[in-house]
Amino acid sequence: MTSILGIETSCDETAAAIVVDGRTVRSSVVASQADLHARYGGVVPEIASRAHVELIDDVIEQALVEAGTTLDDVDAVAAVHGPGLAGALLVGVSAAKAIALATGLPYVGVNHHEAHMYAALLEDPELEPPFLTLVVSGGHTLLVAMDDHGSYRVLGQTVDDAAGEAFDKVARFLGLGYPGGPLIDQLATQGDPAAIAFPRPMIDDGDNFSFSGLKTAVVQWVRAHPDAEVADIAASFQAAVVDTLLTKLVRAAEKYDFGTVVIGGGVAANSALRTGLLDAAEQAGLHAVLPSRALCTDNAAMVAATAWWRLNADGPTPLDSGAWPSLRLG
Amino acid sequence: MLLLGIDTATRRIGVVLASENGLLGRVEIGGPEDRARPRHAEALAPAIRYLCDECSVSLRQLSAVAVGIGPGMFTGLRVGVTTAKVLAQTLRVPVIPIPSLDLLAYPLRHSRSLIVPAIDARRHEVYYAIYRTVPGGVQRDSEYELGSPDDLAGEIAARGEETLVCGDGAQRFAASFRDLDRVELAGAAHAAPSLSALAELAIARYEREEFSPPSEVLPMYLRRSDAEINWQPRSA
Ligand SMILES: [Zn+2]
Repeated sequence: MTSILGIETSCDETAAAIVVDGRTVRSSVVASQADLHARYGGVVPEIASRAHVELIDDVIEQALVEAGTTLDDVDAVAAVHGPGLAGALLVGVSAAKAIALATGLPYVGVNHHEAHMYAALLEDPELEPPFLTLVVSGGHTLLVAMDDHGSYRVLGQTVDDAAGEAFDKVARFLGLGYPGGPLIDQLATQGDPAAIAFPRPMIDDGDNFSFSGLKTAVVQWVRAHPDAEVADIAASFQAAVVDTLLTKLVRAAEKYDFGTVVIGGGVAANSALRTGLLDAAEQAGLHAVLPSRALCTDNAAMVAATAWWRLNADGPTPLDSGAWPSLRLG
Repeated sequence: MLLLGIDTATRRIGVVLASENGLLGRVEIGGPEDRARPRHAEALAPAIRYLCDECSVSLRQLSAVAVGIGPGMFTGLRVGVTTAKVLAQTLRVPVIPIPSLDLLAYPLRHSRSLIVPAIDARRHEVYYAIYRTVPGGVQRDSEYELGSPDDLAGEIAARGEETLVCGDGAQRFAASFRDLDRVELAGAAHAAPSLSALAELAIARYEREEFSPPSEVLPMYLRRSDAEINWQPRSA
């Protein structure tokens, strides 16, 4: 039995978790900084970095306490070392390396995108690659084939805004606040998703995504129809995003011959995307794995899970290793 | 009593091991003339391990961890402060935070001048404070400040006393201070916060039991983020 402490500080959540054997979550603590960034309408890197330094030691301590364990019973310590905000990443990396120094435990640097995919293995203990993953959040929109542990092909990605970025920008434009994803999700339940026919950008055009045109379309439509119901706008915008994501996901599963599809990232917590995926998968005869909302948004359990597989396959990461803000998969 | 000290407020990455009888050893990497990308996140942990190995010390023997909290380079400070507080928390020992400007002033305590350490803050600014020598040490006679080299030169000129300026900010903006009356530059040996000062001041505080809980130890930034500086309430 191998117990791993995972740490995540790549964006605006300070998180730590204990996971056993890459599959069983013993604790998962997430301190969200959303309130600190709300007035700016988005994550401010310098504010995020400062908050991580303030929160990191308490969050680690809490993860150990909630798991009913101590570092004496932990076998490795892991942190996300990229991609992400430079100043934010190095807080988690420095914390993990400090624990490794003090205890002699191995240190494992983890790719944040890879961690979002491994969240699905925490949700479904039977799940094994190969499968097709859609990772969608404020920072990324990636369609990735996970052929085996540690073996990935990025099949598609956004050519401009990430899907979550579009939610934030539209929410800000509509005066809803920040973060935009949950606010639009909630408001959309009171609106008609078919009220306005917003475009589905690049829907028939390969495996890549584009969301900046959709945001512009929403802005133009609202300026032309100042009296429209905000709930209808939110619901129709959300429907356009969900339709685009799911159409491309299902089509890629057929094209690349995958029977299982998995979603991850903050936007994967969106209710319309979740129900839409279940329907679309049933129609297409696909097995869909939807991690719980807490495993979709940034967390450290997915980091500890990934580290277990990486440690077994590649061994520890050297202590002279730093942070990579633009780290790629593979 | 065994103390590990860390200061990463400038381009110099510094680690020191000391006991109440003096230094066991120290490691310094980088400096004002080092033009490579700063490598605090990469180099600090291996430097600590190297120093401990060479001194045959296990981190488990430590009584406390001291850290220079700046002001200085933000990324350096975050690496140093995070490393110090998580090390201390893991080892269940106290943290002793010391302003890095104090570490520049202390080694010059035997001069009879005003002592003005200045740390490069980029954007053509320096972090600085003004110190007077007192028996056995120095005493700060100003707030910790952020300003242009010319602001500082003006402040020094207004005091009109013999003054010794040190730190990488003094080196970088030497032209602003060189021609002032009664002002001397302390030179390259006083460019980075002193590791022996860190050990000496921290051990004195340890003996007086002036500790901080790890979670309360934070970098001294002095400069707000640009977002906060530029933010205007919409309804204002
Ligand atoms: Zn993420």
